[in-house]
Amino acid sequence: MSFPIYDHTKSRELFDRATKVIPSGVYGHLGPAEGNFIPVCDWPLFGEKAKGTYFWDVDGNKYIDYMCAYGPNVLGYNDKDVDAAAMAQAKLGNCMTSPGKVMLEFAELMVDTVNCADWAFFAKNGNDVTTCAIMTARAATNRKKIIFVNGFYHGVSPWTQKVDYPGVIPEDVANNLYVDWNDFEALEKLVEENDGEVAAFISTPYMHGNYLDNQLPADGYWQKVRELCTRKGIVLIVDDVRCGFRLDTAGSDHYYGFEADLICFCKALANGWNVSCLCGKESLKSSVSALSYTGSYWMSAIPFAAGIACINKMKQIEAPKLFREKGLMLTNGLKEAAANNGFNLVVSGEPSLFYLRIANDDSMMLHQEWVAECVKRGIFFSSHHNHFINAALSDKDIDLTLEVADEAFKVVAAKHPEIF
Amino acid sequence: MTDSKTMAYINMYAVLGTLENLCEIDPVASAIISNQKPISIGFDVAGGPKATIYFKNGRCRMEQGCSQCDVKLPFSSCEKFNGLIDGTVTPIPTKGFQHIGFLLKGFTALTDRLSALMRPTPEDLQDREFFETSTRLMFYTISVALSQIANNDEIGKFSAHLIPDGEIAFGIKDDVAATIRVKDHRLVTIKQRCEKPRAFMEFADIDLARDLFDGKVNAVACIGEGKIEMKGMINMIDNLNRILDRVALYLA
Repeated sequence: MSFPIYDHTKSRELFDRATKVIPSGVYGHLGPAEGNFIPVCDWPLFGEKAKGTYFWDVDGNKYIDYMCAYGPNVLGYNDKDVDAAAMAQAKLGNCMTSPGKVMLEFAELMVDTVNCADWAFFAKNGNDVTTCAIMTARAATNRKKIIFVNGFYHGVSPWTQKVDYPGVIPEDVANNLYVDWNDFEALEKLVEENDGEVAAFISTPYMHGNYLDNQLPADGYWQKVRELCTRKGIVLIVDDVRCGFRLDTAGSDHYYGFEADLICFCKALANGWNVSCLCGKESLKSSVSALSYTGSYWMSAIPFAAGIACINKMKQIEAPKLFREKGLMLTNGLKEAAANNGFNLVVSGEPSLFYLRIANDDSMMLHQEWVAECVKRGIFFSSHHNHFINAALSDKDIDLTLEVADEAFKVVAAKHPEIF
Repeated sequence: MTDSKTMAYINMYAVLGTLENLCEIDPVASAIISNQKPISIGFDVAGGPKATIYFKNGRCRMEQGCSQCDVKLPFSSCEKFNGLIDGTVTPIPTKGFQHIGFLLKGFTALTDRLSALMRPTPEDLQDREFFETSTRLMFYTISVALSQIANNDEIGKFSAHLIPDGEIAFGIKDDVAATIRVKDHRLVTIKQRCEKPRAFMEFADIDLARDLFDGKVNAVACIGEGKIEMKGMINMIDNLNRILDRVALYLA
């Protein structure tokens, strides 16, 4: 069959209005520049509503959404159980002078759920808790330096950015050290060169950076890192903001067979209700207690209630196993559709957060064309970011995705007779 | 946030290097050298760039090195050379005194013309032809400055070390274009259209390019508005844009 091509007239009208009052129209990862909307005319710019695994843009176009709001949609948009818990809490109170007892209940649930957690500290965004983790590590060790893995993303505070970014000064990143992913020998060397000065090693559980095939940890990598950090008194921080609960409800460190000292969660924590969480070991509790670190909405009760419902439901449905199965079903189908049309589609990363790249050319232009052809037929993929599986994605949705993907491959192939 | 050595490389290859394009696209400049006998001027900057500008057959081209020049202008430091461009230093040739006439008249007239086009008054830009010539020359200057910053400026080098090998097509739609060639994180600008880009960044028109060069609009916003087309290896474009941000610091 031939799928209709979406029109984005209203999106464009709203975007033009937005540019007058909002910097860049839509800034950040949901915007067309950082979101790599290539070409921008093929992408929706504003959403109207969302339900389950779908969202609708302001032009009424419906999408099977593989970005899941960049992760927060884990059970399906507007999940009835999570939203019922949130609404029930709303009737009691949300942003109050004293935190609701639901905060304690949520912390207890996090400690019971997350393998390495002896305590839980709540905030709003991933950046809040990665920053909290760095401050905790520095407070605990009285050291300055932090080791990052090249290709990292840990938020937007100046310490997480690079020296060439606007608004960042060299002093902001003067204590940042860098090492390649999976290169334990280089990490060990870097630690030796900075012996006694490294406060923390921060990393995602696997390399899911943009523009490159995602890379899983080499056999024994994390165990060696754990041993090195313990031996050298370095706080091991796992940024599980993106992967958290999609690989393992006990934490992605547990999934890969080691224990972090500090672990950061956000996206999948409450199915879109705004809360983030830093969990850590008992030995660091006094250090985090000592920080001057809080926010106006960090103890709002509604997201805590939503988080409790979300985590309990993820456990109940064995969400990580479900995500892996759906991710494999989808990506195996995509690879087959690609091969049938002469494309080499490389799938990398974990199936629940799969990353796609067409490798027939060395410029990613074919890939960008294919993604755009999918998007304008209702399958919301990202050009250069990992994707996300949610629990509401059905086998029927996957079948439809594969049909659209097949048509998109054919369209792109027809445009490039010099290759296909 | 800037350094004099990088500035010297920009002044040599991006600013003086734009004389090549000036003589090609500006009738006033080409008239200045139309009857000029072949002559070359070498710039020898201690601890900095060395290059020679050749004038021959009504054309101008720049090459690296200055061992074969007719007139040689030595500079004891990058700061002194930058002073030449700022108009605060008057060089004394060590070779080719017999050609001093061209240096004082023809060459000075060319650089004055370049300055007029590169630092125009708002009134000048009301003339559409002047505006377009000025903007095209700015494009070439900026294109070359990108590579000089990537290779010399400390923060520029940081951006460049994140750019993979390949060629970036950089241009204004249906107008001027350049190729930024990247090899082992060193950049070279070739003032020709890119035939096989790994990444592509094109401004919608010359007016938009001008606004971007003048800092009136931001590239990120323009991408959303569809006024800048980008595709291909976005990590090449992304890091090139970081260097582009620094061009404004040096050329302000």
